[in-house]
Amino acid sequence: MSLRVGVVGAGGFGRAIAQASARNGHEVVVWSRRDRELPDPILMSNDISDIRDCELIFLAVPARHAVSAAEQLGEVVDGRHLMVHISRGLIGTELKTITQVIRDKTVCRRLGALAGPLVADALADGRPSGAILGTGFPELTEMVREALGGAGLRIYETRDVIGVELASATVGFLTVVLAYAQEVGVDPSTLAVLATRGMVEVSRMGQALGAKESTFMGLAGLGDLIAAVAGDQRPELRLGRALGKGAKLTSAVGEAGAYVEGIEVARHLMEHAQRLGLETPISSTFVAVSEGRIGPDDAIQALMERRVGKE
Amino acid sequence: MLKRFLSERPLRLPHIKPYVPRPSDPSIFWFNSERDDIVSDVVRRICETHESDRAQLEMALNDAAFHEIRRLEKQRDDEARDRLGYWRSMIRRIGKMDDSEQRRVLHTIVTNMTRDVAGNFDPRVYRFARRAVPRLIGGVMEPRRVTKDLMASEPTSLERVLKVQGDLDHLRYLQNEGSLVFVPTHSSNLDSIVLSQALEISGLPPVVYGAGKNLFTNPIISFFMHNLGAYRVDRRIRVSLYKDVLKLYSQVMIERGYHSLFFPGGTRSRSGMIERRLKLGLLGSAVEAFTTNRARRVDRPVWFVPTTINYALVLEAETLIKDWLMEEGQARYIIEDDEFSQIDRWFAFFRKMVGMRGACIIRFGEPIDPFGNRVDGRGGSLTPTGRAIDAGGYVERRGKPVADAERDTAYTRELGEVLGQRYEEDTVLMSTQVVAHVLFRELVQSTPGMDLFARLRLRGEIGIDREVLCQQLGEARDRLCDLEAKGRVRTSDVVKEDTPGELLERALNFWNGYHDSTAATLEGDRIVIRDPSLLLYYQNRLVSFAEEIASPDQLQAACEIENLGVHR
Repeated sequence: MSLRVGVVGAGGFGRAIAQASARNGHEVVVWSRRDRELPDPILMSNDISDIRDCELIFLAVPARHAVSAAEQLGEVVDGRHLMVHISRGLIGTELKTITQVIRDKTVCRRLGALAGPLVADALADGRPSGAILGTGFPELTEMVREALGGAGLRIYETRDVIGVELASATVGFLTVVLAYAQEVGVDPSTLAVLATRGMVEVSRMGQALGAKESTFMGLAGLGDLIAAVAGDQRPELRLGRALGKGAKLTSAVGEAGAYVEGIEVARHLMEHAQRLGLETPISSTFVAVSEGRIGPDDAIQALMERRVGKE
Repeated sequence: MLKRFLSERPLRLPHIKPYVPRPSDPSIFWFNSERDDIVSDVVRRICETHESDRAQLEMALNDAAFHEIRRLEKQRDDEARDRLGYWRSMIRRIGKMDDSEQRRVLHTIVTNMTRDVAGNFDPRVYRFARRAVPRLIGGVMEPRRVTKDLMASEPTSLERVLKVQGDLDHLRYLQNEGSLVFVPTHSSNLDSIVLSQALEISGLPPVVYGAGKNLFTNPIISFFMHNLGAYRVDRRIRVSLYKDVLKLYSQVMIERGYHSLFFPGGTRSRSGMIERRLKLGLLGSAVEAFTTNRARRVDRPVWFVPTTINYALVLEAETLIKDWLMEEGQARYIIEDDEFSQIDRWFAFFRKMVGMRGACIIRFGEPIDPFGNRVDGRGGSLTPTGRAIDAGGYVERRGKPVADAERDTAYTRELGEVLGQRYEEDTVLMSTQVVAHVLFRELVQSTPGMDLFARLRLRGEIGIDREVLCQQLGEARDRLCDLEAKGRVRTSDVVKEDTPGELLERALNFWNGYHDSTAATLEGDRIVIRDPSLLLYYQNRLVSFAEEIASPDQLQAACEIENLGVHR
């Protein structure tokens, strides 16, 4: 039985989701403020009310547009709808996750967060890939697998929704850090220490916010980071490299060619963690680097001089 | 022996002429005529879920026998002597039983459990209780007013101490349209009594609720509890079938339109903090009542009423905070030797309360549907922008209503989150809590680097200039009022209206003369902290707001206080 799938946002990921769903024989409506060319039989709409009849909705907009998109969806969705977002990011100093935003702005309760090493091109082309869906609703997992899955896509499930969202948001930051480190020429072993300890650090912050450590060590965290370091060409890599070449943050962001929230998220997370008495050496150091307060040598030295503890 | 007899066979009045409920009577008046049907419905549904799979059935019987043997071996009382033999013999035979014998044993066990849980409702006892209980407590509060309290037209002492807030007209309308589920915060064993009284004076219906079986050992309380519809919960029983019975009993009652009450915190807040982590079992029973009805196409709405019970003075404060500090909260789940069981403490408590304005506030929050949405005047679910929606949509899959236990568990978790947030927004901060917070913050600030337990040993060692304290109190109160304007919390009228000096004096008066040791005293121009543990208990109500009501130089201390509440 085919589903009616709604996709909010016609960026790379939105289009890929629409293509994968259509390939699996489902009716697909994509909503976007701007007209985009989409292959048949995908329907393109500028009217959010066209999403009303879709039982499964994917919110595929950048985190900074999530609030306004959720507000618009709030006018058309109700308890019948199931919704999944794929945004990487946290909102404001309160560090609201996107599912929290959707819960605040809409009455949709059957929510999930899709994350992990999944990239838009692989999804659109049906190449082998994997992802993780954080949701408390097993029926949502079933429906997402039905919509997107197939021989080429393995969608794992976890109940740790906040863990998936925090891991996904913090991997963005760690990707910038690692790209910067590569650019300034650190050894592979230093890079490995930075990646591993960085993941431990963000996982510690995540746990303070209610996430599970295992989620950070799974597809949403480590899995996603491996895909980034392997070079899946995400903008965070370009931002890190530009900073490594000595560019100021504003021009580095311009060079990245897309809006990158990683550093902003890291700053808010760091402030929150410090209020809770948690140590955040890598985040603190890199926020200082990105603000131009210290250079690469001082950064490495500051991290290396720290007391070594147990793993 | 008598205790056991009363807890197993509570007294009932003889029925000379059966009472025929009138249409205007609350739903609970129909309970006795439906009781047997409710019991058999619960038994049938539990047996059906276990009977289809032999492995599951055998597991359920083994689990029951294992946990009951373990409990009874520890108890070593009359019940153990009577029942241990049965369970020991059964556990030896389970593997050898054929299917039909296993089913028969399951049916017997579940029937016995359900009958033990199910309550009774006697309209005569209800009418007597609604007149007598407030006057009895009023007599304890003010013996000189006994004669006035006996005159029905005069408000009783209890009514004068108790203030009820909330949109009562809305709730009074909804009580006739579906099932109301009151879900209050839990600070004291007095909560059930106070809440029953609040419902009574607000014209709201009597409710069904689960009461610990330990309360049934007192013959008078047992008589009232049993005959007012309370169902018995024996927290010592760990059997999973028993938990299923409790949950399904509550669910069936709500499905049938009985208004209910349960404390989602599970037990009294030991720390004094506003509950955040809620026990979802009974909450889930109410969610499933709605979804089960909808899946059967029965349109009987269920609304949750987040309720906060706010005391300026808590009867069992000393025992509760001690218990929290000893980290024995779980081991001593049922405290039987606290102030609630000491009648002299009841006298002292009520007498102290009656002299103080705004001593207890019950706030009935805005009702919500089982999915955390606000509802309109007629109970229809609303979106955040006020658009009407059909709550039945939450039960649908591909356009059809379906029963799905895993989905309902997830809905219940979401509802728990909403309730936790609503408790914060609807908590009414009382004078003692605000004063305790400012004093405790001063204690933390003047002892940098010291751990909590070292601070709690500083009895009589920390003093604060009264004028300085009053200034800090005024600032904290102003910031709380700002938060109140944003809908984040509420404060009592006295907190809003008193001068800081009056507020301080009021809190000191509450503490002095009731608790064994007072929290703080005025000595010359200084306020001296006498019992930091008591201060901690009262100030814990404010942990979530500590940073927001602190001035920049108090931020470090406020941050330490806020961290106390991180793992609530």
